[in-house]
Amino acid sequence: MLQGMDLLPKDTEMIMKRLDELTSKVDSILEMSKEILRFLENRRSVHVHQDLPPDVMSLLSLPGSLRRTVLAIYKLGEATAEELSEETGRKRAMECSYANQLVRMGYLKKKRKGRKVVFYIGNNSSRGS
Amino acid sequence: MAKTVFSVHSSRGGTGKTVIAVNLAMALLKKGYSVSLLDMDFRAPSLFYVFREETKNQVKFWLNDFFNGRCGIKQVLMKISGIFSDDDNFYVGFANPSLYAIRDMMGKGALFEVSALKKLYRLRSFLLNKLNVDYVIYDTSPGIQYSSINAITSSDMCIVVSTSNPVDIEGTRIMLSEFYEVFEKKTVILINKAFPEIDLPNFERNKIISQLNTKKYEVISTIPCFCNVLRSKGDYLLILKTPDHPFIKKIDEIANKLINF
Repeated sequence: MLQGMDLLPKDTEMIMKRLDELTSKVDSILEMSKEILRFLENRRSVHVHQDLPPDVMSLLSLPGSLRRTVLAIYKLGEATAEELSEETGRKRAMECSYANQLVRMGYLKKKRKGRKVVFYIGNNSSRGS
Repeated sequence: MAKTVFSVHSSRGGTGKTVIAVNLAMALLKKGYSVSLLDMDFRAPSLFYVFREETKNQVKFWLNDFFNGRCGIKQVLMKISGIFSDDDNFYVGFANPSLYAIRDMMGKGALFEVSALKKLYRLRSFLLNKLNVDYVIYDTSPGIQYSSINAITSSDMCIVVSTSNPVDIEGTRIMLSEFYEVFEKKTVILINKAFPEIDLPNFERNKIISQLNTKKYEVISTIPCFCNVLRSKGDYLLILKTPDHPFIKKIDEIANKLINF
């Protein structure tokens, strides 16, 4: 398709940069999928309560990548994906995916603060307190 | 070392966690650091007894009250001065020793523990950032229990105490491989109540290290079994009574290692 088209060095550089970014994103998605599959396999034999905040015992059964995100939120109180990334040293996009995954699993909650999305651990402490 | 929160933990009871935690806190305080010591052993609280003279048995709020939402951070911390000087910056949080309080804490569920961990992180932040404490030490319950895991989770570094008893060593080995590795905590091992000869031939010490089956964790020190320590009968402030005792020398060495870690 590109036959006959003259690509400028600037365009080639931009295409290569975009390809690098795409490869990096695909790698992150693959890595995350593996972690989720591993977690789901572990979960088959363990009863997991939905919409309950993560206590330390349930942290033991979480994949390491998700556990690091939860521990970072415990430390920071509440955090944006950017703040999580600063705490864990991992990429912002990755932290965003992990935190959203934890929200879907019922471990975390999220809210909007202006233009930012903030993740936090809920207060469903209706029993035991 | 920057401001650090240590948890002193073990797989079984009777390893000497409390006497180590108390004297380590005292050693750091003696060096001029601002220190906090928190009793996170809600099943067998002991710090209220260790500091009974210093507090004159006038503890108004316990850590139990803080975690139960009955008091705030400022109320739960008791500042004790005059141990080494009037300028001592020493903050203690006591666990309630009453049977009612112990039973109450044992009956808590997972949701309470989530709230407790959040509060523990707030307490940690208050001590380090507002009170400018240099070192916080948690004296924990042995084994895998909510209060001890919460303490370990919110600490920066764990000191795992083991005796040279084979049952203890095996328990420590399992705990290190199945628990500490999961939480990726900076951890050191302290062998306490070692057979007196353990320091002489190094192979004895190395034998324990190989039994622990871990090259990941440093053995920070080996403290021999001292009869005076066993006979102290709850008088845990050995650093004040017998500052030149070899046990205190060992504790001082450990404090120096931790400061420069």
